[in-house]
Amino acid sequence: MFRSNNIVARIFQRQICTPAPGTSVHCARRFYENLVPSFTIYDVECPDHSFRKFTDDGQYLISFSRNNQDLIVYRPTWLSFSCKEEDCDSHDLPSKARRFESFFTQLYSVSLASCNELICKDFFLYMDSNQYGIFATSTVPSQDAPATGGAIPGFPSIEKMTFHLLRLEDGVILDEKVFHNDFVNLPHNMGVFLYDDLLAIVSLRYQTVHILQIRDSGNLVDVRAIGAYCHEDDELFLNSNAQCMAFPDKSKMHQLPQNHVQNGLHHSQPNLEESFLSGIKQRLLSFIFHRIWNEEKDRTLRVQCLKKKFYFHFQDYVDLIIWKVQFLDRHHLLIKFGSVEGVVSRNADQHPAFFAVYNMETTEIVAFYQNSAEDLYHLFEQYCDHFHSTSRNSLYMNFISSHSNNIHALEQLRSIKNKATSSSQFVKKMLGSLPFSCQSQSPSPYFDQSLFRFDEKLISATDRHRPSTDHPIKFILRRPPCSLKFKIKLGPEAGSADGRTKKISSFLFHPFLPLALSFQYTSFSQPSVVNIHFRR
Amino acid sequence: MGSLFGDWPSFDPHNFSQLQPSDPSSPSSCRVQAVILLDTVLLNQARFKCMFRKIGLTSLMYILILLRMTPATYHPTHSRTLPPPDQVITTDAKNILLRHIYQRAEEKDLRPKRAAPEHLVPEHGCKQPRASSSSC
Repeated sequence: MFRSNNIVARIFQRQICTPAPGTSVHCARRFYENLVPSFTIYDVECPDHSFRKFTDDGQYLISFSRNNQDLIVYRPTWLSFSCKEEDCDSHDLPSKARRFESFFTQLYSVSLASCNELICKDFFLYMDSNQYGIFATSTVPSQDAPATGGAIPGFPSIEKMTFHLLRLEDGVILDEKVFHNDFVNLPHNMGVFLYDDLLAIVSLRYQTVHILQIRDSGNLVDVRAIGAYCHEDDELFLNSNAQCMAFPDKSKMHQLPQNHVQNGLHHSQPNLEESFLSGIKQRLLSFIFHRIWNEEKDRTLRVQCLKKKFYFHFQDYVDLIIWKVQFLDRHHLLIKFGSVEGVVSRNADQHPAFFAVYNMETTEIVAFYQNSAEDLYHLFEQYCDHFHSTSRNSLYMNFISSHSNNIHALEQLRSIKNKATSSSQFVKKMLGSLPFSCQSQSPSPYFDQSLFRFDEKLISATDRHRPSTDHPIKFILRRPPCSLKFKIKLGPEAGSADGRTKKISSFLFHPFLPLALSFQYTSFSQPSVVNIHFRR
Repeated sequence: MGSLFGDWPSFDPHNFSQLQPSDPSSPSSCRVQAVILLDTVLLNQARFKCMFRKIGLTSLMYILILLRMTPATYHPTHSRTLPPPDQVITTDAKNILLRHIYQRAEEKDLRPKRAAPEHLVPEHGCKQPRASSSSC
């Protein structure tokens, strides 16, 4: 739409030209080519906090105290100063501009963790419709906890884990959900997924997906628990037909393992060794059985096929556990299944994994794929945006670049595909990112691949620590003249004052302002160096 | 009742919707009538005004008359696209990803089953299928 790169010319052209239908937001985002965070204040003196992220609406900066007990919330403001000289651009900023407080105003500090608990500083979810934040505190995991009460062996146990629902406007804790002697994968939101007002929490230890609803009043309400049971009344039905559970001694029924979820579902897990398979495992096995059954018309071949493809692998299917879950919409879950060894090992690629699409309303498995399935990869390639299921209210989340909505990202994916030596290994590698972690990507327009080109090994929209580099990270225009627009440098030209060697870096970009924070760490226990990048 | 335009000349009268007596008891037919009426009036204002002015009718009166003449259902003039059965257009709540997942699942269920080969004996004559065990 814009014929000139000059911002004044673009503003004038915006006044007189109408963008093509459906492209008004894309046209507005092009102004970010002119408004870039080109100025850096190095090694800003700031409070000794662990900065987590900006909320996706840009209203708050979330940080935690160094002892991981307190939550401190800041409001991003903007630097303002006046200069009476004629040529102000050549003057340095006043000294008070080089302070953290010039850019951020502390709103409040709330103590979330008590006594032996710690805040999980890599976990945070934001519900922008009500400005609610979800935080997690936990005690230290115990690695050698016995697998009692229906727990799956091989997983650590956290004595107490609490999810706090907090109103970020004033820091009031609205509700809490506590799990006892359980394990949820908290770092980088891997075990929790937020979609609109629905929250899915995956209990790895007890193989249950807890679905909760966040009400506008600020209450966390249990909706259902998918695992041993699918429908809400499955437990009642099974308990009322206790003769089907084949207990050797009915007098031992009162010794069923008790619930470990406070405030909620007082259901008990059946003893799997003594009863039939129920819940989602039964749904999964039935689906696999029916699929193989329907493939063959001839009865003899059908039985042979079942023996080869189902019964031979029956125990492997029974031993599958839920790894990770995400919402595809309000009724469908994408569940990743795998082995216990695959979950606990660092090299999960070596272990088989499967994906299942589960309809929570009908409690049916809709589809089941292996992690090397070409079918699933084609869906991933064409409809990646729908795997990044976002809240209907978060319009800005719809503009995060992916290979389904951006030609440059698609070209990148295809070049990786062409270079891959094995097609199935490539598919496994790509599908290894599924299910996606919730709110793991920054909506900043500076990561829009149609606007800027940058080295994704050094910086990307994904919230991850990366190896630090001495060279500046360049952001180059995609469109002509394809010029360098700004650089993110992690240290001054002469190196830092005390000569510390920086090893790990991370970045926080504001969702819509030309403002970014960069951090350098020598180790996680050492104070980090904080740089502020902004448009002067 | 014939064409909406009566005996006015046209290249092919079958290019135009044929009229049928409207059924006031059917809510969908009333809805369809209202939509078709609005389209018809907006597109053919001059013609209708001319036609009804001759017999001294006001705009409101000719709208009321059209209501009774509006076809109850739409009969397409081509077979390239078929109207929905009850002509009420609804939106599928599922997104395109889930629609494709369901579609592929249905295709797998409906795809032609493989017929049994002529020889049921396995290819490797030295291998025999295992006897079925009681656990299976």
